[in-house]
Amino acid sequence: MKDRKEVMENVATHENWKTCFSELAPGLVLFARQWVRSGADAEDVVQDAFVRFWRQNRNVDNRGLLYATVRSAALDLIRKDSRRARREAEAYSDTVQAIEPQFEGEDDSQRLLAGAINRLPHEQREVLVMKIWNDLTFAEIGEGLGISQNTAASRYRYALAALKKDLLPQ
Amino acid sequence: MNDFSEIENELRVLRPAQPSARLLESVARELEGPAKRAEAPGNVIQPNRFGLGWLSLGLGLAAAAAWLLLARVNHLDPTPSQTVATGSPASSTPAARLNSSQFIPAGASRVVYHTQDEGLLFPRGSGGPVRRVRSRARESLQWHNPETGASLRVSYPSEEVQFIPVPGQ
Repeated sequence: MKDRKEVMENVATHENWKTCFSELAPGLVLFARQWVRSGADAEDVVQDAFVRFWRQNRNVDNRGLLYATVRSAALDLIRKDSRRARREAEAYSDTVQAIEPQFEGEDDSQRLLAGAINRLPHEQREVLVMKIWNDLTFAEIGEGLGISQNTAASRYRYALAALKKDLLPQ
Repeated sequence: MNDFSEIENELRVLRPAQPSARLLESVARELEGPAKRAEAPGNVIQPNRFGLGWLSLGLGLAAAAAWLLLARVNHLDPTPSQTVATGSPASSTPAARLNSSQFIPAGASRVVYHTQDEGLLFPRGSGGPVRRVRSRARESLQWHNPETGASLRVSYPSEEVQFIPVPGQ
């Protein structure tokens, strides 16, 4: 199996959208699921964002911008129907933990870990998802979320610390 | 950071689920299909459709509120003048009444109390993405009557949407 970093470097310059999309889609859908309630909605968001992004850029050199586009599409989706839907979505993202990220083949310990991820504050979870499962640098994460690189790194450390604390044997 | 290497390794073991085949088919249809959809989907709000609308609505409401309040001041003003007129005929002349209801602009302010970054858009015909930033503000206009010392203040909420180009890659 190819090293993931190597694959990502190839993807960054590859002009074939299928190669790019196949490699990035699982992480993008996981990223989008933080804001929407179902996997189908998350896929719709990723589809809309990727199509718009690819038509504009024809490559994924700027991955921070791609994730910003996905985030923007997700926010558009929860905003477009009505103000009520938006209020619900905001309340949902702030209080109840968003949809559980879906991972393949979870055993008991992995389910515990996935549960702990869901309990993270939203701003920490999105940085964690971008870093761990999408291999973005802190600079790219900062660009995607409109925050500084240092803030992205801090949120990542807070997320890891919170997970470590959450998973410590009682 | 080394303190977290163990938890990072555990996290990396988790693999995101593969998206459905429908997603790849849908993207393929969009990017390779014969009838490509318009560049800007319907849910993208165009800058020229939105920014001016809120601005003109706010200005219109402000003008209407100011006109109504001034009209009410003009309407109420003659009553005390007429009372005075019984004892002092000179002060009831039309010129005196006009002066006593003249308000001159004394100030204007705009306080932005909320700004929200609403993410990226790809407007039709634009060279690149733009960032949509929504600002909510309270605007106030004030008038003063130097003759009577009275002042009039109108305050109203306003909302503005700005589209800021994102620097190129």
